[in-house]
Amino acid sequence: MKTKLPYSTPSGYFDSLKSRLSEIPDKSKGRFNFVPYFALAVSFALLVMLGNFILTKSTASQPASDQEIIEYLIDSGTTLAQLEEAVYNY
Amino acid sequence: MQEQERFFNELVQKYSEPLYWHVRTMVGSHEDADDLLQDIFIKVWKALPGFRGDSDVFTWLWRIATNETVSHLRKARVRAALSFSRIDEQAERISDPDPYFDGDAAMTALRKAIAALPDKQRLVFTMRYYEDLSYEQISAITGTSEGALKASYHIAFEKIKHLLLESD
Repeated sequence: MKTKLPYSTPSGYFDSLKSRLSEIPDKSKGRFNFVPYFALAVSFALLVMLGNFILTKSTASQPASDQEIIEYLIDSGTTLAQLEEAVYNY
Repeated sequence: MQEQERFFNELVQKYSEPLYWHVRTMVGSHEDADDLLQDIFIKVWKALPGFRGDSDVFTWLWRIATNETVSHLRKARVRAALSFSRIDEQAERISDPDPYFDGDAAMTALRKAIAALPDKQRLVFTMRYYEDLSYEQISAITGTSEGALKASYHIAFEKIKHLLLESD
């Protein structure tokens, strides 16, 4: 440093700093890094949700044909009275 | 791993003090510099396996420290903006009574003027003025061309001169 700095530090600061910094490797050894595993799990969940959304949308977007509606009404056991009532209310 | 640890401890012994001053001249406060040093050396430890020696140790360390410090200064500015305090108020706060500041009135005015500079100009100015680094060294650390650094230093110098004359 060419210029005298107007700053100071607490007494014995650099010894304490060096000692604290030297502990970094030991502290990092015992630490398990969850971040990449968490990111992988989130990515997988997002992919599943996206796939589900696309599949649901593609089947839901196609309108049912008249024949399909008739077959559904027959198979579901809907009575004629219910149909007449539905038409009347409509 | 042991070799890496040994090398890391060598870096701590040799460079922690000059790196502290590098950071301190930019941030001003002892507490901020102390926190930043811890973060910087955690980054150094994590980046050590990837250090191939393509750049010299000095440039590599100063680059990590500078990036970390600039990021800290940016966050502080954003925090200040969100809390509706102005940049000059920030500069004012930096010059508040500090138990680890030994300067006279002129030094206090200089410190205040440096704190009011934009990050890039503050960076170049402190590296030149306090650390006596060459433009070539600063260019290697920051990845900015020497011409652009000279221009930034000149603008910073003029601004500081103006601020100091104003404060007289």
